[in-house]
Amino acid sequence: MYLICGTVPRKDLPLTLGEVKFLGPVISLNGAEIPCTQGTAALISAACVTAGHLRLAPPRALLVGDDGTGKGSRLLYDHLIKNLPVMSPGVLLLHYMLPVMGLMKKVCESASKAKKRPFMIADAAAMYAAKAAGLASTFDIFTPDLSEMAFLADPDAMHPAYVSRHLFESDASKIPELVAAAYRHKNAAKTLMVKGSTDYIAADGKIIGTISEPDVPALEAIGGTGDTISGMAGAFICGGFRPLDAARATFRANRMAGQYAGATPATRIREIIEALPRVFEKHLDEWIKTQ
Amino acid sequence: MVFGFTKKNNFEGGGLVLFTSVEEAIAAEKVLKAGEYETKLVAPPPELRKGCDLALEINLVEKTGVERMLRAKNLSFLEILPVKSGSELLQVVQVTDFGSAIMVKAGNMKLTFDRGSSVILNVSGGGCPDIPFLHAEMLDKKLAEAPRPRDRGYTLCSLMLDRAFVESLDIWSNGRK
Repeated sequence: MYLICGTVPRKDLPLTLGEVKFLGPVISLNGAEIPCTQGTAALISAACVTAGHLRLAPPRALLVGDDGTGKGSRLLYDHLIKNLPVMSPGVLLLHYMLPVMGLMKKVCESASKAKKRPFMIADAAAMYAAKAAGLASTFDIFTPDLSEMAFLADPDAMHPAYVSRHLFESDASKIPELVAAAYRHKNAAKTLMVKGSTDYIAADGKIIGTISEPDVPALEAIGGTGDTISGMAGAFICGGFRPLDAARATFRANRMAGQYAGATPATRIREIIEALPRVFEKHLDEWIKTQ
Repeated sequence: MVFGFTKKNNFEGGGLVLFTSVEEAIAAEKVLKAGEYETKLVAPPPELRKGCDLALEINLVEKTGVERMLRAKNLSFLEILPVKSGSELLQVVQVTDFGSAIMVKAGNMKLTFDRGSSVILNVSGGGCPDIPFLHAEMLDKKLAEAPRPRDRGYTLCSLMLDRAFVESLDIWSNGRK
């Protein structure tokens, strides 16, 4: 089971668990509709499309409304702490939530009590909490962008807003050094998928792959293009892909979807996600063969 | 020094609110607890001590919401700092020119606006729960008509988005002159 956990911009949404569907403009969870915009909704949409192409069961989602006060996030953490051993997902993806170090520690402890420990992916503030709490190396995949990679490389930063200036100003050519620093300080997951003008895949402190084609610079401006990467990666892992292969397929698909959608800085994330089925149909088999 | 705790508080938030007087610290703790913020009265480390010898530990990520609540209650404080000394809030921004659009990046947040109309085209990056709300509130609005992230958000991500927003307004205003 692929379980995606996060907060969404609907204050009235109570903590809700169920199978999730991508319906184009919205995702649907137990009858509740959430706009397919930047954040966990974009992630879920990409995960649904990918799982559908791979003929997997749709992902399940544990979602709650939270406007930033953290009230919904705390409900989400509490539910995971109490129920993860029983829920026992194969892949657990933690996403938008208020980063609370103490609660993230308890979530990780709870995950380790499951009969089989889930494959754990963190992005967005769940990744910030995991790093700040010293738990990064217990995760299987992180999906940082360049500024978040600088945050992982900075041993003292509690949040990307407090990254050292010299690390923040690192350009993409410095990613191998940032990756090495993050692993040295034990602030990296087993696999890092670093998204940017060139996407980097790293494991055990070393860069093991890069993807830079097709080049679609506007993707960086579009809110949600990092979220789609995390969602797809989790679905590929559920489909039996090794982390390196999942990362390669994900980066290629995201870029190709941007190209198919004719991405500009004004493009909305839904347009990118809607291009994914055509991308998978045309390219995924070929990518799998060459892996 | 005993601060009247009746049970052990293991909270680790990574942020400190510094005050001039002990009375201010105690009053702030009361207000923030009533607002459901997790807090703990602590002695600040010597290298961070600026006012009295009592500070309030908060979740650093909630700096924006904490500041707004203390100001709304007219409670004074010196500043909010990370517990780990040496860390400073990022002040620098980076600008990318897409031709018809301009993207401004502050920390982990990016705001992209149309060069001709100033309409906000996209907000990307971040990871705290207020960002999808701010994304929905700001998109398709002209910069001068959009809400300030600092006034609506609660987290450091919203503070970084505010930096990008203010810089965008500045670029837009200067570009029109």
